[in-house]
Amino acid sequence: MAGQGIERREILRVMALAAAASQFPGFHRWAFACGHVGAPPGAAKPAAYTPQFFTPEEYSTVERLSELILPSDGSPGAREAGVSEFIDFLVASDPGIQYGFRYGLTWLDARAEEQYAKPFRGLNAEDQTVILKRLAYKDQLRAGEEEGRRFFNLIREYAIMGFYTSRVGLEQIDFPGLKIYSESPGCPHGDDPEHLHLPPPRY
Amino acid sequence: MSLPIYDVIVIGTGAGGGMAIKTLCEAGLKVCALNSGRRLDPAKDFRNHKQAYDLKYRGFGDPRKRDRYYHVETEYTEGLWEHGIAYTTAPGTEWEWPRCHAVGGKTNFWGRSAARMGDIDFKAASRDGFDVDWPVGYEEIAPYYTRVERMIGVASTVQHRPSNPDGDYLPPMKLRCLDYILQKGCEKVGVPYLPDRLAQLTVPHEGHPACHYCGNCTEGCDVGAFFSTPWFFLPLAEKTGNLELRTNAVVRSVLADGNGRAKGVAYVERGTKREVEVYGKAVVVAASCIESARILLNSKSGRFPNGLANSSGQLGRNLCDHLYGTTAYGYLPQLLGQPSFPDNVSSSQVVWMPRWQNLENPRAEKFIRGYSIYPTGGCGEFPWYHRQLEGFGSQLKRDIKRYYPTPASFYCQIPSLPSPTNYVDIDPEVKDIYGIPAVRVHFQWGPNELLMWEHAQEVSRQVLAASGGKFWGAGARPNTPGFSLHETGTCRMGNDPRRFVTNRFGQTHDVPNLYVGDASVLLSCSDKTTTLSLLAFALRASEHLVENMRRGAA
Repeated sequence: MAGQGIERREILRVMALAAAASQFPGFHRWAFACGHVGAPPGAAKPAAYTPQFFTPEEYSTVERLSELILPSDGSPGAREAGVSEFIDFLVASDPGIQYGFRYGLTWLDARAEEQYAKPFRGLNAEDQTVILKRLAYKDQLRAGEEEGRRFFNLIREYAIMGFYTSRVGLEQIDFPGLKIYSESPGCPHGDDPEHLHLPPPRY
Repeated sequence: MSLPIYDVIVIGTGAGGGMAIKTLCEAGLKVCALNSGRRLDPAKDFRNHKQAYDLKYRGFGDPRKRDRYYHVETEYTEGLWEHGIAYTTAPGTEWEWPRCHAVGGKTNFWGRSAARMGDIDFKAASRDGFDVDWPVGYEEIAPYYTRVERMIGVASTVQHRPSNPDGDYLPPMKLRCLDYILQKGCEKVGVPYLPDRLAQLTVPHEGHPACHYCGNCTEGCDVGAFFSTPWFFLPLAEKTGNLELRTNAVVRSVLADGNGRAKGVAYVERGTKREVEVYGKAVVVAASCIESARILLNSKSGRFPNGLANSSGQLGRNLCDHLYGTTAYGYLPQLLGQPSFPDNVSSSQVVWMPRWQNLENPRAEKFIRGYSIYPTGGCGEFPWYHRQLEGFGSQLKRDIKRYYPTPASFYCQIPSLPSPTNYVDIDPEVKDIYGIPAVRVHFQWGPNELLMWEHAQEVSRQVLAASGGKFWGAGARPNTPGFSLHETGTCRMGNDPRRFVTNRFGQTHDVPNLYVGDASVLLSCSDKTTTLSLLAFALRASEHLVENMRRGAA
């Protein structure tokens, strides 16, 4: 987002100088901790990622599921945000959820094998979507698929965590905290306090 | 070799300690301040301008450490909260106690709501017959409130609410779209919806810059645009040349001499575990409510076998806390699909629904006293509402975007009533890693606060519906006690030495040169936050001490 780089840092530096008159002697360093170390977020990732937790087969299923949950559909999705890498990293860091992921991926392959005689990652997008829809919508759930639904909710949760904490994800919802403000921003619809006559929804 | 004897030793550098340090130093007294943690460096320690993607775990924190995390501690504030000093809980007590022992204490991260208490709080016992009145009326403390507000800067409006005396305010935070919508709903239900009393600088104040509305106040402010003692009070105290601040000094006890007067403080150096004594003509204990009680209870001697200043047996008793919890959350369909808007400009602390219950008739409701609610919502950071939206794919992305401005939620601030079963004492078995006996907490929510919790859920739901909002849910239960960080009691003030620890100036009845300067002197927590009141009482106590020392009476 424009304004996030040097400009914002500059504003913060000036504000810090304004405060220097009352500076506490213990606070002596005024470098602001908003620099981005290393590659800029959203930059192209190396082609090959070596998963820390998942097997290569599991990882390719995680990748595929992430893309189905948050597709690149004209705007960035899980792929651009590196969501599957984030999931692998978090699962590797969290023994408490490893079983749930591993069991869920196995469940999904078993379901795909049963129905299409192929693992989930081997199915075409249409068939993958058919399976996911039954897990994603309460009114389409079939008896015996509750474990699959639990796994879908788990991986959906982690995909959303990964996407909406990435730079492209936060840009997509236009997260206002990517900017700072010179005054308290108030509601711009002063003549319509009940907000019954807003412009038509933009999204 | 003779050790220096300071005029005053102040234990603690949070709101109360900071006020005492500043007031005493400016009065020309030589002060030795002891703080059990380190000084923070905003450039290194405050990560409030980092984005989620700047952090290794994207702000969710290392899962392997999560058990040790309290709810308030995140990847943004990791390492700034206390974990080293043990405390215990009695059987049946759940107590979640996030403590910041760094210089400045909890003022580094506080919620900044800064409302005055009034006679409806100070004289509540006269109104409803429960407990006792405070030894101080509003008229007497009001000038101190005004002075504190001028020192720290509080943004609000004059509201003429019967439960909320107005003060001396900076311009208020502006209302957001969701505020106007919820305000209309409140009008229909007949409850107030107003700008909060917010200690956050909407304009530059006393040499401090105005807020830049980054919205991450509870992760520490790196420019000092809201009150904290490291930004506001300690620099003024340092400027006098009268302050010696010793950090990483974990206090073991207050030392008494043969005449029953305080003569100094014994502490353990955190790193070296070296035992140190420091001497002074007077001592102010302001280590935060429970820690102050612990220090005094641990200050036993032949003359004071039950702890220092505890002839009443009330030291540690009457522990109160705010019951916090989400009373309702949902969304405002009016805002579906609207562009994102900077709603989270102050950690969402903009408005409040100040106490409206039991105003005319103190027993109009099923409960006595009253509570307040803090509504919030709008575009936050992470779209936590995603669990309310089914599905996946482009539709999910679109829904998350469409709902982004719409969430609304209500958070209650409910005072617990003083109870003989809610108190702290010293654990007979457990010591912390410095060999200091640990404090043990005994606490349960009582029936009055649970009735308020039910009431608050009902009203929040009504307001949401009257605003055209849709209800998603409410917290299944209140937050665990201790979570609000608003402990009061343990060293209550009162005129009768047999029933109270300190007099109405915070001077202990038993030890004339020992003062208490934090929220432990407050008789109850009321529906308001504690910081502004404890600052006012600490200012008054400090000036009383200065005056007594001038007259040779303390």
